[in-house]
Amino acid sequence: MSLFDFNDPQVVLTWLLSLIIFLPAAGALLLCLVPGKDGWCRGFSLAVTAVVFLLTVWLALPGGQGGLPGRFNLSGDQMQNMVCYAWIPSFNIFYFLGVDGISLPLVLLTSFLSVLAMWASWPITKHVRAYCVLFLLLETGMLGVFLSLDFFLFYVFWEVMLLPMYFLIGIWGGPRREYAAIKFFLFTLVGSVMILVAMLMLYFASDLNRLTLDQLIACRVIPPLGAGSTALVTPLASSHTFNLLALAQLGQSGGSPFQQILFWSHSLSWWAFVLLFIGFVIKLPAVPVHTWLPDAHVEAPTPISMILAGVLLKMGGYGVLRICYPICPDAGYELAWFVAGLGTLSMIYGALAAMAQSDFKRLVAYSSVSHMGYVLLGIGAWSAVAGSQYDPHYWQMAMNGAMFQMIAHGLSSAGMFFLVGVVYERVHHRNLDQFGGLFARMPVYGGLSMGIFFAALGLPGLCGFIGEVFVVLGVWSYSKVLAVVAASVVILTAGYILWTIQRVYLGAEYKGPHAEALKPMSRREVAIAAPLLAFAILFGVYPQALWNYITPTVNKTVTVMANWTANVKDHSPAVQEPIQP
Amino acid sequence: MTANSNLIPSLLGLAWLLPLASFVLIVFFGPRMGKAGKHAALVATAAIATAFALSFAALVLWLLQNPLSAPNPGGHAAERVAAESAKALSGEWYALGVFGPLRIGIGYYIDSLTLAMFCMVTFVSSCIHVYSIGYMHEELSEVVDPLAPLANGQPLRRRGRFCRFFQYLSLFCFSMLGLVLAGNVAMVFVFWELVGICSYLLIGFYRERTSASNAGNKAFIVNRVGDFGMIIGMMALWTGMGTLSFGDYRAVDTAGHRVTLPGIFSQVRPAETKHQLQVPDGMVKLASRPQIERIVLAHRRDTRTATAAIAGQLRGWRSQGLGYGLLVVAGLGIFCGCVGKSAQFPLHLWLPDAMEGPTPVSALIHAATMVAAGVYLVGRFYPVFTPEVLLVVAIVGCITLFLAASIALTATDIKRVLAYSTVSQLGYMMLALGLGGWLAGILHLFTHACFKSLLFLCSGSVIHACGTNEMPRMGGLLKKMPYTAITMLVGCLAIAGAGVPLLAVGFSGFYSKDLIVAQALSFRASNPPFGGLFFYVAVIGAGMTACYIFRMWYLTFAGEPRDEHIHHHAHESPKVMTVPLVILATLSVVAAWNLFGTGYGLQPLLEQARPVEQSIAHGVFLPGVTMPFEHEAHVPQIHTPAELVAFLAALIGFVLATAFYGVRKWDPEDARRTFAGIHRFLVHKWWFDELYSFALVRPVLRISGWVAACDQRGIDWLIDHLAISVAAVARFDDWFDRLFVDRLVNLVAQWTYAVGLRLRRLQTGNVRQYVMWLAVGTVMLFVVMSLYWNLALAAGM
Amino acid sequence: MMNLLTQPVGLSHYLAVSAVLFVCGFLCMATKRNILGVLMGIELVLNGANLNFVAFGSRLLRGGTSDGLGLDGQAIALFVIILAAAEAAGALAIALNFYHTHATVDVDRAEELKG
Repeated sequence: MSLFDFNDPQVVLTWLLSLIIFLPAAGALLLCLVPGKDGWCRGFSLAVTAVVFLLTVWLALPGGQGGLPGRFNLSGDQMQNMVCYAWIPSFNIFYFLGVDGISLPLVLLTSFLSVLAMWASWPITKHVRAYCVLFLLLETGMLGVFLSLDFFLFYVFWEVMLLPMYFLIGIWGGPRREYAAIKFFLFTLVGSVMILVAMLMLYFASDLNRLTLDQLIACRVIPPLGAGSTALVTPLASSHTFNLLALAQLGQSGGSPFQQILFWSHSLSWWAFVLLFIGFVIKLPAVPVHTWLPDAHVEAPTPISMILAGVLLKMGGYGVLRICYPICPDAGYELAWFVAGLGTLSMIYGALAAMAQSDFKRLVAYSSVSHMGYVLLGIGAWSAVAGSQYDPHYWQMAMNGAMFQMIAHGLSSAGMFFLVGVVYERVHHRNLDQFGGLFARMPVYGGLSMGIFFAALGLPGLCGFIGEVFVVLGVWSYSKVLAVVAASVVILTAGYILWTIQRVYLGAEYKGPHAEALKPMSRREVAIAAPLLAFAILFGVYPQALWNYITPTVNKTVTVMANWTANVKDHSPAVQEPIQP
Repeated sequence: MTANSNLIPSLLGLAWLLPLASFVLIVFFGPRMGKAGKHAALVATAAIATAFALSFAALVLWLLQNPLSAPNPGGHAAERVAAESAKALSGEWYALGVFGPLRIGIGYYIDSLTLAMFCMVTFVSSCIHVYSIGYMHEELSEVVDPLAPLANGQPLRRRGRFCRFFQYLSLFCFSMLGLVLAGNVAMVFVFWELVGICSYLLIGFYRERTSASNAGNKAFIVNRVGDFGMIIGMMALWTGMGTLSFGDYRAVDTAGHRVTLPGIFSQVRPAETKHQLQVPDGMVKLASRPQIERIVLAHRRDTRTATAAIAGQLRGWRSQGLGYGLLVVAGLGIFCGCVGKSAQFPLHLWLPDAMEGPTPVSALIHAATMVAAGVYLVGRFYPVFTPEVLLVVAIVGCITLFLAASIALTATDIKRVLAYSTVSQLGYMMLALGLGGWLAGILHLFTHACFKSLLFLCSGSVIHACGTNEMPRMGGLLKKMPYTAITMLVGCLAIAGAGVPLLAVGFSGFYSKDLIVAQALSFRASNPPFGGLFFYVAVIGAGMTACYIFRMWYLTFAGEPRDEHIHHHAHESPKVMTVPLVILATLSVVAAWNLFGTGYGLQPLLEQARPVEQSIAHGVFLPGVTMPFEHEAHVPQIHTPAELVAFLAALIGFVLATAFYGVRKWDPEDARRTFAGIHRFLVHKWWFDELYSFALVRPVLRISGWVAACDQRGIDWLIDHLAISVAAVARFDDWFDRLFVDRLVNLVAQWTYAVGLRLRRLQTGNVRQYVMWLAVGTVMLFVVMSLYWNLALAAGM
Repeated sequence: MMNLLTQPVGLSHYLAVSAVLFVCGFLCMATKRNILGVLMGIELVLNGANLNFVAFGSRLLRGGTSDGLGLDGQAIALFVIILAAAEAAGALAIALNFYHTHATVDVDRAEELKG
């Protein structure tokens, strides 16, 4: 029972996961209390983010069950490394953490980008201590979102992350920072409120008594028999729950309590899905609720743009994947056309809008809208229906592609924002028509930029390609029209990226102001951009490095949905056969 | 398979990876390799030369294992079918992604076509690498680029990029070899894109020039349009067949057993149908989804009966033509990619602009290898193409052939003449493939690679000597540059198809062109009403080819020098450049010959790789079209007239060119004035650039402007006004608060205050008065109390 | 209505005397302008009340029905006396100060604290 009995793997695990989440917050607290110069604050924050990164790397090291605690079991498709303690028992709220193949890559991405972004914060000189404190709080929020398995806890972290972001944009941003920060805050808050409403709807409709004992144990509502010495879970005090796994089990069961009609002849599940979906899609962001993104990016300082594009957008996709679909499959089935259509629309719309921009950062921001559209499209391609004999494989491919795209976009967009920041810092403008010839003046910068922009372009051998192609190839089985429209985006993407490269890097000479400031990249800057490019190449050439983590979990998620379609939706046993005779 | 057969993939794999190693080395250490990166060229050249040696070794090994059959290019296809289909090695090196039975990987598919392509690509590349050492030597020192003027009017001065050039060349070689080696469509696509980006980088090698970066963008974006189609084709194949692999492949089925699953070729042409085209089951099922849904929902209780019912219906659905459309879409989609890469008719614009790159690049990428990849892919995908698709291929090839040849007749830039000539020749290949002439098309690919790279390198030599691309400023260079002039003449003869008809002896182009024309004639014989058109265009094209190519040669080398200054400075190129010219010239002559006294040569080698032949096939959508067997074109009744007509056409073209430009019998100015309208039309390249700019580029930019405006003036406007209206509501709230709520509270306070003021007067400060009030008050209290007391007592009673 | 004069001395007589005392004191307070007079009136009022307490507290006078010691009235009376003494001390101090500052002992002149 003791929290200091380090012989108990469960205790070590608890400490590990909690350290990952709360070490940045503790660092922030320490930073508030201990005096020191600006340089010390930066260095300390960087050290904290680096330690967190190392801890998450430990979490990602492959190891089987029964190995060292916290190591990841690559072949497991279930939630792993779960720890569960009662937090507010009277409302069945638990401190419930765990990782699986969907959250682990995102956790790693978060901690990795945090290190790089903190390192990229060196040029910030205004209120450095406050900046570092807020940055570390932000990291706690982000990691908490990805690690928590209790809806309430999830929501708390979701909100925790919001406020530091608001201040980071609003204080350290560009000239229109207040407008951008408020816009970001209000958009996200609208989403949060919808998530809150849906969460409460689901909570009060949930009924744990419908689950079997095995299911309850699997969801950790009841501690595992025999090993339950440390898990302080009270017996079923009330039948409502915030446990995401239990909610998913309830949502997927036949005659689920969420299927009661709420109003306008739609079920509770349908309404919950819609509310959650809007909430998450604002964060993703998809058209038409994306307009906070360009403003926030343009005004945010470079490191915050990196975090915003690299991590915060992924939370939308993560939410849809983790919460919307497993808990409300029937609504997901009904609204698949909407989800996939919205994704395609975002792809086209973002690409077209990017083409018309003359602000470098705005262009990259719109390219994010376009790229995140692939994520929605891949998630929404529900092709496991009766007409395909419930073949889940194409949907698996699309959803895996979507997941891959999230990571790939996290790397490439963070890199692009950093590179824009590098040049902005030198010449203090971002007008695409006033660049040119940067390749000659900053050769290393030019080379790194080419690589990262090509990754965004979806060039084979770089990470963007795998995600995009897998999504698009997997979608045809769901809808030919959407697949064709989505494929056409490759032309637009090539158009705006190449045009940007031409305007910024190629050409005879630099056409804008402050030409004398265009010095080659410093070692620090190279050391930030180079790992991003290196990972972009690694994942492009050897995608298995990511698939090993992602695929088992995503495949299982899809298989569960496919079986749900067959058994619950259509009431017939699933057919599992390869499509060849 | 024996141990040797496993050696071939390894050899080719090594040959494929060597340029990549060279690329990586030069990326990191290029500038440090000798002075100004001079030795980078050696690294790259050594890599590609070794790759050639390995490819050649692999070819020899292959021939030892699979001796060529009798040198009978028209052998009976049907007999060979069974043996042929085994003559390919396929396998996978590693997987990019696996989802149940679906897998996409990096693998190989090797047959004699692959090997021939490998040898050709590595050999031509080696020659061009050597040539580039001489051609690019200016890049070793500081370069003054007058074509990239600065704002102050001075020409740009920049550091040389010698090693970067070879770095890109190595990357290109790697990509191109990967494309040839690819064992599945996804891998083809991967390297398809990579050669595209190499092409982009090399076209934009002089990145300071706006024209070069524009040309690079154009090339890549136009190629992406083609790739868009290719993705559609891939999606149709992938979803319809569950695989993108050419050959059969191993996978793990749902039960966990290792099984060999049929690849694309085996599915489209299964052994059960004697390799006749058949819509694969997967595509039929994909097209019959509504029917399957009904069956599955009807057999809810029992999946086995549902599966059986579906299997029973399959034949019926197939005979209804379900799924055939998908096969057509797949074929058209793949061909769309080829249209982009091989610069065929609607997407041909990028290739002439791509001449902005250094000339060796034009020779390697935009003549010999990359642009031919489209033709190669059509050849590779031949078994999957339905007659409808083949007809589209032929039509596109036919249009391109004529269109490009006509523009080449008026172009004055020496490289642009060659570029349009390339487009036109690629059109020839497509035409041949589309009409059923597989060998004709593919053979032309190889011979064209030899003579066109030769022509480009010669033009590079001329440009190197003259410093200009404009032919009207050249002339009379024959004496100054004898090697270049003679080798170029050989190239011109080869492309014009010079040879001795009836004896079947000639330059390499002679053989391939004859095969194409003969196939067109054979097609005319089987499809009388419209089939003649292809034949006429092919013949006219042969004439035009001879005409424009000799026009170019005469303008460059013959006659009097037109620009004394240029002529004075012109000089023969160094040996490092002329030796590759001589080698390629030799090859342009002999490429299509068989080795003396043996049956070994390019034609029998390619013949071995011939895919199962398109039969007298009837498409579902176009039942009247017949693709003749290729061997039918070899009978003398067809071959001899075709040969003679083609020869005659080329001769007329040659005579015309000689009359106008060689001996100056007629003045070209007269012809120009007489056909002023046509001339203008051709000089403006049929106004395609303008048309696309007007019909596609500008609308897209305008739409993107609208979209951006919609964001800022639409959605943002809405959001901002929402915020403003919320603020307005807040202000109303504020006003309401002040006016009503606050006023009420204030009123109460005021009343209280007023009452207080009044009561204050009672407080006189007079103690005695207070005492009086006290007494009076007490008495009053008692009076009141007693009153109520009584009442309370009364109630209590 | 019984005639007090004809009755034997009992509780009512005490009450009557105390009422007289009280009223006298009260009138004294209300009419005297001299601060010392007012203080005397207060003393009278207090003593009137004391008499009441003692009379009510006496077992004899109430007919001996009470249990306990029957000293409640006396005890309270003692309290009152002590309070009166304290109060007189305070009041005299105030009067003295008042006299020092205003050179008079007329309560009607002490009206600076009026509302």
